[in-house]
Amino acid sequence: MILPPPRCMLCGDAAVAARVVRVDGDEGVLEDGETVDLELVDDVGAGDLVLCHAGVALQVLEER
Amino acid sequence: MRFVDEFRSRRLADALRAELAALVEAGRPVRLMEVCGGHTHTIYKHGLTDLVPPEVDFLHGPGCPVCVIPMGRVDDALSLAERPNVLFTTFGDMLRVPGGRGSLLEAKARGADVRMVYSPLDALALARAHPEREVVFFAVGFETTAPSTALTLLRARHEGVSNFSVFCNHVTIAPPLRAILDTPGLAVDGFVAPGHVSAVIGTEPYDFIARDYGKPVVVSAFEPVDILQSVAMLVRQLREGRCEVENQYTRVVRREGNPRALAAMAETMELRETFEWRGLGEIPWSGLRLRDAFAPFDAEARYELPGARVADPKACQCGEVLVGAIKPWQCRVFGTACTPEHPLGTCMVSSEGACAAFHAYGRLQVPA
Repeated sequence: MILPPPRCMLCGDAAVAARVVRVDGDEGVLEDGETVDLELVDDVGAGDLVLCHAGVALQVLEER
Repeated sequence: MRFVDEFRSRRLADALRAELAALVEAGRPVRLMEVCGGHTHTIYKHGLTDLVPPEVDFLHGPGCPVCVIPMGRVDDALSLAERPNVLFTTFGDMLRVPGGRGSLLEAKARGADVRMVYSPLDALALARAHPEREVVFFAVGFETTAPSTALTLLRARHEGVSNFSVFCNHVTIAPPLRAILDTPGLAVDGFVAPGHVSAVIGTEPYDFIARDYGKPVVVSAFEPVDILQSVAMLVRQLREGRCEVENQYTRVVRREGNPRALAAMAETMELRETFEWRGLGEIPWSGLRLRDAFAPFDAEARYELPGARVADPKACQCGEVLVGAIKPWQCRVFGTACTPEHPLGTCMVSSEGACAAFHAYGRLQVPA
């Protein structure tokens, strides 16, 4: 028996904010060691928070 | 955790509850549709139905991408997965969605090579690693997910990966909202619009709801305080006689969305003339397919698919749940013939589905 995961990875709340610690080309390395593709967002640097979904960063968060 | 803890603050939630109590007119119902399954999940998980005034009624909209995939498309996916030499990749939630002749998980049990991935980029990596296999990715989701598919297609073309294709079932959010608004007799006073779809498409695509239908819209994030604030913003608009598109999720959503993501989608995909939605039927210009330039990567062009329409089980009332006509617990098979362990309808499959969310968090509090 397989029950639904606690969060659906397709849907809205599975897009998560994560902090980039290193940028390597189009790839960002996140605090937890996972990587995310940065090609669809502008000017991301180490320390930025990005919204990640399905392996791709969709936005840079404003931290005001 | 930044952007999580502060949006689960009891102090802020209490303040918003007080604000809402002051805004709502006693005895006058306010029916708000949360479009996204992520919102539905938060509403039940955090018990928001008990925190808002009794006049506020949440209707659960069509924004769970797993829930709206018709059974015929699942059967098409099964036929792809069962082809010899195909390595079929899918997001985890689609594994259990029942088609007319079973699920992908059952096909896997019968020997099909079905693998779960977290990103279409992972599927492309599998294609690179297994050049002797035909790797197909089951692309499902709204505009939140479509950019990752678009980016993957651009990479596949750039790298010349010839053993990779996409079975495209991406859908767009605005057309079903229009279909719901055109449903005769449906009473919705305002919409909580999906935050992460809006991170891509921006807020402009919702303008028609306020302009043409006179309903307020608030684009909302997904934590409980976010949703309470969005409800308060909607009720305030209604109280003041306004109908505007407002943005509660300002930390992520810009008016213009993400132009790069939209450009990648536009380069790789185009609207289908019509697409079938579970529970809503055919909706014109609501689904995406690959452009002709990407035909070599289009599973629908590369392989022959059954393409049959499959009717939902007669007892299943997912369609009525998906347009907010009935609550999950009002479905005749909720919690009996249809459970998370043995889902009959898609709303019970995904954790974002209204029925699964209610079953997980709210089923002990079924209203009398």
